[in-house]
Amino acid sequence: MPEVKLLSDGIFEVTKDKKQLATMNLDPGKVVYGEKLIQVEGVEYRTWDPRRSKLGAMVLKKFNISLKENSKVLYLGAASGTTVSHVSDIVPEGAVYAVEFAPRSMRGLIGLASRRKNVHPILIDAGKPESYAHIVEPVDLIFQDVAQPNQAEIAARNASRYLKRDGYLLLSIKARSIDTVANPKEVYKGEIKKLEQAFEPKFEVLNAKDLMPYHEDHLGILAKIR
Amino acid sequence: MKINTWFGVLGIGRTGEVLEFELFSKDIRELVRCSIALQENRQLLRQHLPPAGFDLKTAALECGFVESSAEYYSLLHEVMVEAAKLQVSEAFTADQRIIQAVEALDDINETTNLLSERLFEWYGNYFPESGLSGEALALFIAKYGSRENIGSEDPLYPRARNSMGAKLEAADEVLLKGFAESVCSLYERKRQTEAYIQDSMESIAPNLSLAAGPMLGARLISVAGSLEKLAAFPSSTVQVIGASKALFKHLRARAPSPKHGIIYSHPLINTAPWWIRGKIARALAAKLSLAARIDFYSGEKDASLVEKLEVKVEQIKTSNPKPPQKKQDSGVKPKKRRGRK
Repeated sequence: MPEVKLLSDGIFEVTKDKKQLATMNLDPGKVVYGEKLIQVEGVEYRTWDPRRSKLGAMVLKKFNISLKENSKVLYLGAASGTTVSHVSDIVPEGAVYAVEFAPRSMRGLIGLASRRKNVHPILIDAGKPESYAHIVEPVDLIFQDVAQPNQAEIAARNASRYLKRDGYLLLSIKARSIDTVANPKEVYKGEIKKLEQAFEPKFEVLNAKDLMPYHEDHLGILAKIR
Repeated sequence: MKINTWFGVLGIGRTGEVLEFELFSKDIRELVRCSIALQENRQLLRQHLPPAGFDLKTAALECGFVESSAEYYSLLHEVMVEAAKLQVSEAFTADQRIIQAVEALDDINETTNLLSERLFEWYGNYFPESGLSGEALALFIAKYGSRENIGSEDPLYPRARNSMGAKLEAADEVLLKGFAESVCSLYERKRQTEAYIQDSMESIAPNLSLAAGPMLGARLISVAGSLEKLAAFPSSTVQVIGASKALFKHLRARAPSPKHGIIYSHPLINTAPWWIRGKIARALAAKLSLAARIDFYSGEKDASLVEKLEVKVEQIKTSNPKPPQKKQDSGVKPKKRRGRK
């Protein structure tokens, strides 16, 4: 019998042969991206591969992502929905506003969203937060994985419009998309400084860790509005 | 203050309470249409933008658009999925179709060359003296199969009779003929795709097509991702599109900057003497960039662009008739560039 340990709300560590990160499957029987389904006492868990998900890597790096079952999430850079599916598992009574700008990725995301009632796909540029002001409500968490050179600014502009005062910003910084040739450590420093000072609102960075060995040249950041 | 939401136009007070409202009908198609219009029309958007932190769901309940929170999310969900579907289907525009065709053409070329070589090697065992290769060989095999089937009227007849090739058994002949037919149809597909790209380029990017040639123009669009993106690129980027490896080597270390990317295939550059190719590449890129912009924003054909380019190229040629003399090495080390070693 596989062993299940609760890590935080909606996130589990399932031990079957080896320890694996997992979420409870909101869409039982259905596999999204080739992950494993594990049944334990009538509950179906989906394993969560940290190498394919920045958020998954952040959970393993002990970031406190503090989501409840009814949390509202603004997910910027949803891609085809690999990670979105796990967020959807974690907030079964909540809502995930999944913003993605590439029609190619959106195709996968639409397939996912049509099976999961809490995922609302939006085909739009996350760099223009006003353009979805008629859709998105204030949220408890903004998760951003957009790989854009101005990602700190994008985060700030979205946070100023959509993040609740007590909400959190989780950010994956890809050094290579900010400066292809600079030293990643320098890039990280610059981005943290930008978050703390450059835009409105200003953030307090609560946690910042390199996502090695799961993702190369990526920094995970947890912040809240100061 | 009036604001736009996905479910209607609201008038709200200072604290965000709803004072008046004009709700949309709960017809999904209508809601989808309104939502997309708000997303895409910036003017509409700015006019009645909800204030930061505005709680749409509470407002929707307050003005009676929905009975419950559950109904709000289920309706929103349906509208969002349908809107995204519609936008995805509309995103496959003419320039995106060209990009698919360009990439398909590259795949076809690669596959054709691979299979042609295999056919050449394979059939060479049966009729090494044929002197044929590529499409001609494929057509030959598809027509005759074994060299014994060549009629006496065919110029290859004498060679076939005295060939040192092995005898082609019936089973092998069927296999090779089928293989050759596949190769022939690939060559056919190649011509068809090229013709398609030429026609499409002529209609969606006539200026770029004229200045760069349809194939190079289509490749530029393909690498840029869309005609819009190509039009937005600075011409210095257009100049080195396709030379990213050399460009980053240059930015990172002391390597020389690339003079041209895929625009090298343009006859103005690849027939020019080496010492002015960089200059011509710069002039050509500038004009290609202009051409892409005219195509994207106005769409009218303007032949003067190419004339100006030709004048400019003539100028470059006459003012640089001879290769530059090699500079004497002054012994000073070149300045170190930024970045990692």
